[in-house]
Amino acid sequence: MEVIHYFGAALGLGLIVIGAGLGIGRLAAAAADGIARQPEATDKITGAVNLPLFLLEGVAILAEVFVLLIVLMK
Amino acid sequence: MEQVGDNIIRHVSNSDIDHPIFSFPHLFHIDPTHPLYSWLAAMSVTKHVLMLWIVALTVGLVVILPIQRYVQQRRLIPTGLMNALELIVSFVRDSIVKPNVGPKWVNSWAPLILTFLFFIFFANAIGMIPIFDVLGVINRFIFHVPANDSHNFINGLLHGGPTATGNFNVTAALAIITFLSIIIAGTKAHGFIQHWKNLVPHGLPGFVYVILIPIEIIGMFVKPFALTMRLAANMTGGHIALLAILSFMAIFADMFHSVFAGLGVALISVPLAAAISGLEIIVIIVQAYVFTLLSAVFIGMAINVHH
Repeated sequence: MEVIHYFGAALGLGLIVIGAGLGIGRLAAAAADGIARQPEATDKITGAVNLPLFLLEGVAILAEVFVLLIVLMK
Repeated sequence: MEQVGDNIIRHVSNSDIDHPIFSFPHLFHIDPTHPLYSWLAAMSVTKHVLMLWIVALTVGLVVILPIQRYVQQRRLIPTGLMNALELIVSFVRDSIVKPNVGPKWVNSWAPLILTFLFFIFFANAIGMIPIFDVLGVINRFIFHVPANDSHNFINGLLHGGPTATGNFNVTAALAIITFLSIIIAGTKAHGFIQHWKNLVPHGLPGFVYVILIPIEIIGMFVKPFALTMRLAANMTGGHIALLAILSFMAIFADMFHSVFAGLGVALISVPLAAAISGLEIIVIIVQAYVFTLLSAVFIGMAINVHH
């Protein structure tokens, strides 16, 4: 049972990737859809998509830091 | 094989507090255990502090000097490096600061945001240039300094093309500047009392405030905390990924007790590491942009209150 925290960390990393991938994928899909419907609004759509994208990425990165902490500090 | 993990951690972390690069008590021949001078030992220059100085020097040479020279000359047409700088400056002012902060305050907050952008960009970018690793190779094989000589200057720098922004303390300092500027921006725009009142919308039933006020106060601290973590973790994460992929060579050679296993893995891992370096260059630019964009958004949120 000494290495059980590694399982937790690995599982957590997988879940983070699933969550972040789904989130970013949905954002990108919606942005591409919007731009295809209204090419003249490209700048506005890109601007509106950027901020939630970075906030989402921040959450994923935070989770990764905590996973790293689990591994390093046991 | 156990050395791999140590190597990676030493590469991304700051130098040991007992072995800084310049130790001030050492330089001035002062007893570091003396109670009057213990602060001097704590002020010793580590890898990341040295990198911050180099970054400051680079920003001075590449950004401040050309702008000073441009301001002093009579002609209005920019030349050379100033062309690129003007492009960046006008981009930041017109599409990062102005939409968020608003036309009234754009000139008071654009300088801060620009400083963030240039400083973080250079700090990130210098971390990708393996200056000290090259110096270490020269040191080791031309000057024949043994690798375990911990008093050697170059050896102290080794295991790091250190990224100063990969250190949580550096990014925390930057985020604290953002935190204070949010308060200053709100205070200058609305007055001190009104800025704190603006944190929550008014005209709601009383019980909502019981939940809302703690949430808003926590949110006030979460914003700079997320800025800190995002930048530092991104810079550290990229370096760890690069080194881990390169370390596969050592791990496989050790596992099969043969050099050829390592060479075989090198055929895959070196191109992969090169590709990830390319990705890192994008990450460097995007993270500098994100930090400045989010700072501008947060400062703008304190100025243009939406309720």
